[in-house]
Amino acid sequence: MGSEPPAVELSGVNIHLGRGASRVHVLRDIDLRIGRGEAIGLVGPSGSGKSTLLMVLAGLERPDSGLVLVEGTDLAKLDEDRLARFRGARIGIVFQSFHLIPTMTALENVAVPLELQGVVDALKRAREELAAVSLADRAAHYPAQLSGGEQQRVALARAIAGNPAILVADEPTGNLDDATGNAIIDLIFELKRARGTTLVLVTHDAALAARCDRVVRMRSGRIEPAGSDVILSAAQ
Amino acid sequence: MSIAVAASSRRGARQVPLLLRLAARDLRGGISGFGIFIGCIFLGVWAITAVSALSHSLSDGVAREGRTMLGGDVSFARSHSPLSDAERRFFAARGLLSSVAIMRAIARYSDRAGLIEIKAVDSTYPAAGAAGLAPALPLPDILAAVDGVYGMVADEALSAKLDVKLGDRVEIGTSSFELRAFLMSEPDKLAGGIGFGPRVILSHDALRASGLLQPGALVRWINRLTITPARGHAVASDDEATRLIDEANAAFPGAGWEVRTRTNVSPQFSKNVDRLTEFLTLIGLTSLIVGGSGIANAVRGFVERKRMTIATMKALGASGSYVFAETLVEILCIALIGILAGTLAGAIMPLIINSLFGALIPFPLTSALYPQAVASGLIYGLLATLTFALGPLGRVHDISVSGLFRDEIEPSRTRLRWRYRLLIAAVALALLITVLTTSPNLRVAIIYVGATLGSFVVLRLLAGLLVALVRRVPRPHGLTLRLALVEIRRAGTLAPSILLSLGLGLALLVTLAMIDANLRRQIGQQIPGTTPSFFFLDVRAAEASAFQDYLKAHTPEGTVETAPLLRGRVVKVKDRKAEDVHPKDNAAWVLEGDRGITFTSKVPDGSSVVKGTWWSSNYSGEPLVSLDVEIADGLGLNIGDVITVNVLGRELNARIANLRHVNWRTLGINFVLVFSPNTFAGAPYTRLVTLAFPPGNNTARENAILRATAHDYPTITSIKVKDVLDAVSNIISQLAVAIRAASSVALIAAILVLAGAIAAGQRARAYDAVILKTLGATRWRLLAAMVVEYALIGAVAAVFGLLAGAAAAYVIVTRIMAFDFAWIWAQSLAAAGLALVFAVVLGLVGTWRVLGVKPAAMVRSL
Repeated sequence: MGSEPPAVELSGVNIHLGRGASRVHVLRDIDLRIGRGEAIGLVGPSGSGKSTLLMVLAGLERPDSGLVLVEGTDLAKLDEDRLARFRGARIGIVFQSFHLIPTMTALENVAVPLELQGVVDALKRAREELAAVSLADRAAHYPAQLSGGEQQRVALARAIAGNPAILVADEPTGNLDDATGNAIIDLIFELKRARGTTLVLVTHDAALAARCDRVVRMRSGRIEPAGSDVILSAAQ
Repeated sequence: MSIAVAASSRRGARQVPLLLRLAARDLRGGISGFGIFIGCIFLGVWAITAVSALSHSLSDGVAREGRTMLGGDVSFARSHSPLSDAERRFFAARGLLSSVAIMRAIARYSDRAGLIEIKAVDSTYPAAGAAGLAPALPLPDILAAVDGVYGMVADEALSAKLDVKLGDRVEIGTSSFELRAFLMSEPDKLAGGIGFGPRVILSHDALRASGLLQPGALVRWINRLTITPARGHAVASDDEATRLIDEANAAFPGAGWEVRTRTNVSPQFSKNVDRLTEFLTLIGLTSLIVGGSGIANAVRGFVERKRMTIATMKALGASGSYVFAETLVEILCIALIGILAGTLAGAIMPLIINSLFGALIPFPLTSALYPQAVASGLIYGLLATLTFALGPLGRVHDISVSGLFRDEIEPSRTRLRWRYRLLIAAVALALLITVLTTSPNLRVAIIYVGATLGSFVVLRLLAGLLVALVRRVPRPHGLTLRLALVEIRRAGTLAPSILLSLGLGLALLVTLAMIDANLRRQIGQQIPGTTPSFFFLDVRAAEASAFQDYLKAHTPEGTVETAPLLRGRVVKVKDRKAEDVHPKDNAAWVLEGDRGITFTSKVPDGSSVVKGTWWSSNYSGEPLVSLDVEIADGLGLNIGDVITVNVLGRELNARIANLRHVNWRTLGINFVLVFSPNTFAGAPYTRLVTLAFPPGNNTARENAILRATAHDYPTITSIKVKDVLDAVSNIISQLAVAIRAASSVALIAAILVLAGAIAAGQRARAYDAVILKTLGATRWRLLAAMVVEYALIGAVAAVFGLLAGAAAAYVIVTRIMAFDFAWIWAQSLAAAGLALVFAVVLGLVGTWRVLGVKPAAMVRSL
């Protein structure tokens, strides 16, 4: 094991959502370490806190207590603007519902995170990323002109365009048919392997979770202790 | 500079073009949903710009045409006496002198008689511009005596009044005059003020022949001088005009002229233009502010539609302040459509009005574009947009990204961040400062701003109260009422928006209705038995007694009163020249132009002494004067102070002996200035005689006495009070129409906002309607619930509108117009009721389509 810090380290993370009578303890004393280049499958029933955990490590929710280190950076020490820039540079997110911006072409959608980071040749790099997901010929098309699978590939290209250290995927095949979904998953793992990206994948699919290096099970806001909770080295 | 800071600066510099790029991409989706937004901005900006442009155009037109309108470069006006020989020589040596005499008289033809406004002119008339005559013949030829009969020119209204046509002979005074042409346009009409009868033009010789020029007759002599310019110049400069005035005042110190120049043709007209401009600007501002609710609703709707996109941008690395900036750029781009369109449409109004109505309007408009008007529209449009858009836009900062991970997006419940609250406060303050600094009357502007803010606050509180009350009432048994109450108390209810637009619109309607009703009440209110039916002017002192007997003989049931009458000008107030005095608004008119003055040994009827003492009947000391107590207050005068008046070309000082309260409402004989009898001993004067009939229909008696006196006393001018009141009432009616037309801009804005608020709630309504229809609810049931909902909101708005409108009308009528106020509810209730019905119908029409949405289509998209 190298001296590099892990990709993600959560210690004693607690988070409550809602107010008054509807206040819910969504994450309870979460401790989690994810090694660099590791693929984690995050599973659990609805309402177990998987999405909230994703948002915490992506810097989209601040915990009420605990430590969140991403690539060695304490997210609590970043103000809002620096957190946004950190997220844009280090974390890529793939959503279940794609969430492409409807008034931008596929090329522009992929270029947005690069433009936000101030990359000068953003469109050129975006074109390369679209080619990497085999959509170079659909660069000028709007999301409404793309199939579900194509939209998710554009979303994937957008997520990895900035060469993020961590790729977070929230049920990326949830809105796709089996064949298309499988193609997307293959693409995700291929890109992860080629770039050494750490992958955190939320899924209900046990088979998909099994493709990951490790499966983390959640229930009622806690990570269930299990044999698969052994940290594998980045070399594995 | 450190590398990090340098990098940050470079990044910041690149962000601006990126912001514009991202905003442009987002706007590819179109601007649907912004129709009301653009409409509200356009309306308010157009109104403000148009008012400013027209005001500048009018001022420029008056300045440009000043010489024509005045009839020369300078005018010296005086009542009773024409120029002396010395004065005439003085002016004739300095340019072209043109003298006109203005007086009222009675014209008679066959068995008809009517009041006319005579203008007697010399051969130089008009010294500037041209009179429009039909037939178009030279004026001196028309007016010349032919076979001993002088000619006359008359306004076409005389033809309608006396049923005369060209060639007929009309009797004026003791002579007959042949009507030889109709007056189609009068170049110096504006300088002459408002008249109550048709204009008749005679020559000076003709006026003398009429027998009307008796000593003390109420004739005003206006002497216009077109100054000989310096060598090489076509027109004398303003400096030359000023020098000439100074020379004339030095040469004839007690002349008592009222002096006007071509740059100050009619101070009263200029003042009225300022007042009208101010009023119309406030109307435009009202429409912009009322439209502000529509702006806020539209931006709120935009933020809702863009919630997913904004959340995605934040997930991709955009900070909250960045997405705020980007959406602000988009909103401003869309707002610019309304602002620029409104500014352009307003700026070209002088050109449009001139080209369409130029021949009809009696005053000149300059067809030009005015940068000040354009700037005014741009600034007001931008500030109003920002004031109302920043609130909903500020919430963009805290849109949660969590919705991207979950199916349902919850509306953000976070409080608006302080930075945005401060920004809104700064912009609102800038708007307030703009309103206050550009208004000609600061007091009115402050009252307006206070009233508007107060209305907003009260309406917001009312909306909150309504929602809170609805939440607390026990659930009613009836389903229809329950459905209606659910819509009012739901989160994100549009009740506040509907209440705001409806409440402000109703308040405006009620204000206008009450002001209109009170004005008409003032005009129409006469105290039976004491309000005169006739004023008889130019009754010579020698014939006064006989004339009174004549009236008593012809109208035994009538009441006849009389008082001596002269005209004079207040030239000094406590040793200060009148033009250097700064009177209160209610007293300024006393120092402008000639006033009717009288003298008597007894306290006049209709007056009561409130301070000081009345002089004895045989008083023979220094000249004393009694002054209206409110005028004294307005001029800063008190018992013992001295005022100087110029009468018949002579100045005299009079000490204030007492102050009177005058009951002007009786319309009887009353004067601001009443002198002790010894003041004008030996001066030529005429008498004013009034005739009052008992209550009842006196039309036949009035017409009979008018014909009789015109025939038997041709040099006496009879003014029928009813005709005067009708003329004033007509003017007020026209003004009321103009005010309502102008106010309709604000009402249209309120309607747009109401329509926008209703439209904004359609999605939620469609959702509810689908669910209820799948559960068995019919369209009529849903419609009934909506009627109840809108009626409830409308009832609250109506109560506010009635109370706030009445309060506003009270302030305007009592404080600004200085009239008594009466709570005349009939018109206001009618206006409010109609508006309420309209609003409910509008809401139902807008919602009917939504009720027709098929459940299957909606359920598939859920």
